Amino acid sequence: MTVYDSAQRPPPFVDEFVQLLRYRDLILLMAGNILKNRYKRSLLGVFWMLLNPLLQTIVLAVAFGAMFKSALPDYPVYLLSGLLAWSFITQTTQYAMAVMAGGGGLLKRIYIPRATYVIAVVGNGLVNFLVSILPLAAIVLVFDHPVQASWLFLPVSIVILTIFTLGFALLLSTASVFFTDSIDIYQILVQAFFFLTPIMYPPSALSAELSQLMTLNPFFGLIELFRIPIYANAVPDAGLIASAAALALGTLLAGWTVFTNRADQLAYRL
Amino acid sequence: MIQLDHVTVRFRIPHERIPTFQEYAIRWLKRRSIQYADFNALNNISFSVEQGETVGIIGPNGAGKSTLLKVIARVIRPTQGRVRLWGRVAPLLELGAGFDYEMTGRENVFLNGAVLGFSRKDMARRLDRIVEFSGIGEFIDAPVRTYSSGMVARLGFAVATDVRPEVLIIDEVLAVGDADFQQKSAARIRKFRETGSTILVVSHSPTSIKALCNRALWLEHGVIRQFGPVDVVVDQYVSG
Repeated sequence: MTVYDSAQRPPPFVDEFVQLLRYRDLILLMAGNILKNRYKRSLLGVFWMLLNPLLQTIVLAVAFGAMFKSALPDYPVYLLSGLLAWSFITQTTQYAMAVMAGGGGLLKRIYIPRATYVIAVVGNGLVNFLVSILPLAAIVLVFDHPVQASWLFLPVSIVILTIFTLGFALLLSTASVFFTDSIDIYQILVQAFFFLTPIMYPPSALSAELSQLMTLNPFFGLIELFRIPIYANAVPDAGLIASAAALALGTLLAGWTVFTNRADQLAYRL
Repeated sequence: MIQLDHVTVRFRIPHERIPTFQEYAIRWLKRRSIQYADFNALNNISFSVEQGETVGIIGPNGAGKSTLLKVIARVIRPTQGRVRLWGRVAPLLELGAGFDYEMTGRENVFLNGAVLGFSRKDMARRLDRIVEFSGIGEFIDAPVRTYSSGMVARLGFAVATDVRPEVLIIDEVLAVGDADFQQKSAARIRKFRETGSTILVVSHSPTSIKALCNRALWLEHGVIRQFGPVDVVVDQYVSG
């Protein structure tokens, strides 16, 4: 017989993980429902997932393509590969914050593992990310950009990006429950970093000092990790892989610790 | 069986609302400490309920009744003290709480089941029985947003009570749906009681508490005023 004892339980760090395993079907259902709801009432349905990145790329490529013509051949390939990684990280984290700050739905009404929503949101973001590789492949073909074995490195990049995004989403969604305006602050930061990170432009466009600073921009390495195998047809160098992996694991560890330790207070705060 | 030892649930209520960094920072800069008032929704509560007992929880608004149910259903953790509970809990706190109104009734059976901790496989096996009990009929494949509130509650009740729980927690949901369904749901709860489920009920209706429960717990300002045989406690509560 299952026993619940509020005074005796594994540390939250472990307990939350065990509970999530028990509720794995709930996470899958929720992630699926986010997807279904988003496109249910629209005419083109899931095709928006494919069209959105394409339209975005066309607009930006028309606007900035001429500027980077010499530095970045096949500019749309460069642009979209960076944009996809960027959108995956930022849209997923923003969504996770909004969901948690918006009351976390069920968290104050019934017991479910506290991280359920955040993980479902990240899972949904990952599916979007994977699907949007199709339009990216289409652009690669249209521009006759070479495709080499370096694409086989992409699963590693995606795993590292997902680990980082999950950890970051856990940190930010905790913040959003305790301080509502962290959502607005984060939105401004996302906008700023979109221009501060070489997504639309090549790293070489930055001055020497700014390039130095770029080593401190956590998004830069993560985006490069996904973009290099596609655009430069190379496996990222070991230093980049190691630092990105360390960043991702560190963020997840921090996010998981902060979130699970604060989780009990969530139902009080929401 | 449920056992609470010296359980306190404390909410921290700031005198002024400080939900933003901005205000927090301003206050910090002005070196003004933030004033909080501690409010004990439950204050050092101890009691135990044996397996198979049915306990009615009564008291005025704000006495801590819903907080008590939540702390037992592990929605919130006690600030102090210890809650222990043996067996699976079916919380009927808000019926249909886990529903996604854009999804069909059928999809929501799986979703709500998952919220209650059941696997997908488990729910697939029980789907027909749940749909039948709910009396939703052909509407089971229509989006829940097209349901009446009674239909939502019926489906929620059918999912939550499909398997006999060891502990059933009910918050004012005895009057679910139409007269027919009310009888059906009351019959099901009685059956649980007869087969040994422990039941906790919050209700403002002395009659329904007396009809269902054998003991009553009278809460006021987060402390127990009285805990004993249902007739004695309810009569004293009603008379004053």
